[in-house]
Amino acid sequence: MSRSAGIVDRRTAVLGVLALLLAGTILGAGLLGGGVALDRDVYRVGVAADSPYRAPVERSVALDARSPDADALRDGDVEVLIRDGEFRAVDTPKGRAALSELRSAVRSHNFEQMRGEENGSAAFPVVTVLQYVSRDDTLPDEAFADDGGDGEVVVGSGGDGSGGDGSGGDADGSGDGDDAAATGGGGGPLGVPALSGINPLGGGGSGSPAEIQPPFPFGSLVLAFVFLVPMNFVVQAYGSTMLNERINRRGELLLVAPVSPGDIVAGKTLPYLVAMIALTALIALGVGGSLVSVAAVLPIALLFLAATFAGAMFARSFKELTFVTVTVSVFLTAYTFVPAIFANVTPIALISPLTVVVRDLQPLESVSSGAFAFATAPFVLCAGVLFLLGIGIYREEDLFTQRAVPLKLLDALDARVSRPRDVAVLSGLSIPFVFVAELLAVAVLFALPVSLTVPLLLFVVALVEEVAKSLHIYAAFESGTFPRVRRVALVLGALSGLGFFVGEKFTAVSQVVGLPELALGQAAFAPSGIGVFSAAGLLFAPLVLHVVTAGLTSLGAMRDLRWYGVAFVGSVAVHTAYNLTVVSYFG
Amino acid sequence: MTMIRAEGLRKTYGDFPAVVGSDFAVEGGEIFGIVGPNGAGKTTTLKMLSGLVEPTDGVAEVAGYDAGDPEMRRNLGFLPEESPLYEDMTPRSYLRFFADLYDVPRAEATERTERTLDRLELAHRERRLGDMSKGMKRKVAIARSLVNDPDLLIYDEPASGLDPLTTNYVLEFTRELADRGKTVVFSAHNLYHVESVCDRIVIMNRGEIIARGTVPEIREEYGETTYHVFTTVPVEGSEPDTSAGSATVEAGRHRSVVSDMAAVDRVRERAAADGGEVVDIRTREQSLEDIFLDLASGTTPEAGSERGRQQTEPSADGVRAPSGGERPETETVQATPEGSRTERDGGSER
Repeated sequence: MSRSAGIVDRRTAVLGVLALLLAGTILGAGLLGGGVALDRDVYRVGVAADSPYRAPVERSVALDARSPDADALRDGDVEVLIRDGEFRAVDTPKGRAALSELRSAVRSHNFEQMRGEENGSAAFPVVTVLQYVSRDDTLPDEAFADDGGDGEVVVGSGGDGSGGDGSGGDADGSGDGDDAAATGGGGGPLGVPALSGINPLGGGGSGSPAEIQPPFPFGSLVLAFVFLVPMNFVVQAYGSTMLNERINRRGELLLVAPVSPGDIVAGKTLPYLVAMIALTALIALGVGGSLVSVAAVLPIALLFLAATFAGAMFARSFKELTFVTVTVSVFLTAYTFVPAIFANVTPIALISPLTVVVRDLQPLESVSSGAFAFATAPFVLCAGVLFLLGIGIYREEDLFTQRAVPLKLLDALDARVSRPRDVAVLSGLSIPFVFVAELLAVAVLFALPVSLTVPLLLFVVALVEEVAKSLHIYAAFESGTFPRVRRVALVLGALSGLGFFVGEKFTAVSQVVGLPELALGQAAFAPSGIGVFSAAGLLFAPLVLHVVTAGLTSLGAMRDLRWYGVAFVGSVAVHTAYNLTVVSYFG
Repeated sequence: MTMIRAEGLRKTYGDFPAVVGSDFAVEGGEIFGIVGPNGAGKTTTLKMLSGLVEPTDGVAEVAGYDAGDPEMRRNLGFLPEESPLYEDMTPRSYLRFFADLYDVPRAEATERTERTLDRLELAHRERRLGDMSKGMKRKVAIARSLVNDPDLLIYDEPASGLDPLTTNYVLEFTRELADRGKTVVFSAHNLYHVESVCDRIVIMNRGEIIARGTVPEIREEYGETTYHVFTTVPVEGSEPDTSAGSATVEAGRHRSVVSDMAAVDRVRERAAADGGEVVDIRTREQSLEDIFLDLASGTTPEAGSERGRQQTEPSADGVRAPSGGERPETETVQATPEGSRTERDGGSER
């Protein structure tokens, strides 16, 4: 390994290699062992070697095929016993869970067999669209039929694999496997063992609402979370390296070399990015993710690194850096993980690239390119802007100064402003952050009643946007980049409003995933002219709003912090009133 | 050929003026020193010249390039006051890394760094830098400044914190670099370093240049020459001579300190009138350190528009009272009543 730029010292490199080896060993062992699973061989099933149920049991990771001894169930050697066409399970939660797992395994087995059929329409003659609707009445909670009377539960028997209809049992627990065996040709699907009393419709292809898997991709979610774990460690090392350069003043020697600060930062960041990609690829290989998963995780890795880099540029000490990196880790982990929980429920979930990973890990789920762009583009753009801000202060004058984090942020903003037009550019570049903040607000307020949250959301939107439009103007005035003249302030305000307006139009990408169709989505984006509002032909009303409010805050920023605060409050009030008006009349 | 041209160079940090309008030029092949107390603006000036710090105002042109031009840095070797090295590296890998940054071909870089390390007598080239002494690290840092074979070297306090032996070595090496045609600009507050190697210097204080020229020029322009006249009888303004220490005090000698030869003659006449005679005359010149201290504290008439002489003013006849705690002399002219003879003390006492 080349130790370019001293980015990776020997100890870090060794630890990194060891971590990779460890991850590789675990994943390799997992792959050799048939995949990574926490529930391997949890349930023991007594099934004969020549039973048609033997194959699904053996294929299931959670099931362990045992000899079908008559006493095995009583002796506690198995949880489920398949014998003489009957399914018997111990009357314990584990027994019921084992039976449920067996049922899933048989279903999967049948499904795979059907998929192998050449005639698709014959294999799947009926297409069912499942819709989740709110339930008015609670279904009666039916108990298990304790036919065994000796601590066992006798459930419906299934077919023997040769049957075609595969009916699994009826409500009273009597089997119809024989019937199943009598119909259909060889090689057909097995009858799915139904839970007695829970399956009022009988048969193996349907069940009660209680039996239907909730739209909560727990397994995929846990696997997706694995992608996030290494990032939290890598950014610690990365942040320390960057801060070390500052504290030890080693960065000075690089700055007098004929390379740009961008080159230096790229050289320092690339090894960590490559490490993250390697880890991501390894994990994807281990959990069965495709390239889509890797591509979706990459923007998260970039944003982790970018936020840590900016934090390391702002922090004065390792103590501050720890605070920054922990904040970054917690925020980004929450931002990416929580929405992904609702991957199968609502388009809001797509604010997180991890949702793309979750969907990628679920069979039969796919993500459109538009949805992929929606989920990942804000992350990439935010990362780009953060790197840009950090590189702006990667210079001797800022690198080794001991200024407080907020002042460093102002320095970073000011470093990008040297001409009036830079104000417009920076306002436009703030859009990814605004977008992320507004999406986060939508996601956070999503669970509350619309009547309550819409006004709140409109206020938050106004707050975020006014910060984005004015903070760099304040920074530029404070550093003396522009003279404190009223005319200059108004020009800067107008440019900021214009830049923000142009950048805001890029939020139209939210339409790709249908976010404006949600009530909160409309509230968040309609005032910007996205969706309904643009149809009203008032596309330029937001421009007027942004120019007016940015001009107001710019006038305040021209004077001092107190006046900036006063003007800011005024602008937020105007902006919120505008938002409420737009949503009330056009939303 | 002018290697560096600074005109109206100014740097302010907020309201604090770090450098206030510096003008100077450095010719190719010379060793140019920037002297001043802490906070005088030396390092800021060097950083502006090396492109590390952007001037607030003025021109900093280096080898025909603007100092902020990255191309300029290809021909620059910079040595900061500290030697921040990558401590997990060895000297060889460290120098190779920087050679790569400067796009020096690998073979050429290897040959050059080995030659420099030979010259610097650095033996442990595969030892971890973190395990090296400060002097060895400084040598590696100097070698790093030479990996790209630059024409211009900017050294900030190159001998700071080193033992006398290593300091001497570094200064000799600096002289050698200039002999090889390199231009060296370096800052120091140890004036012996400056006197011993610099061709020309500027003295900075509070961000502005308050003196410039060769060391002799500065001594001539800003230094004072005083004549210590020893008589056998007391004359007006004289004091008993105790300056040479009790062991060598000659009984009955009196010393008068005057500022010119006319005053010396007047002392001679008064002594003769009182029945005595002049037995010794010594000429004393201020050392560079004296001048520097005077300039830095604003005691010479030339040092800044507002600064004037604040210490012992000569009386109307040119005689002043000798000061008790005299600073080191750089040159002594001894005179006898029969004539004068000149002896050199050998320069600075440091």
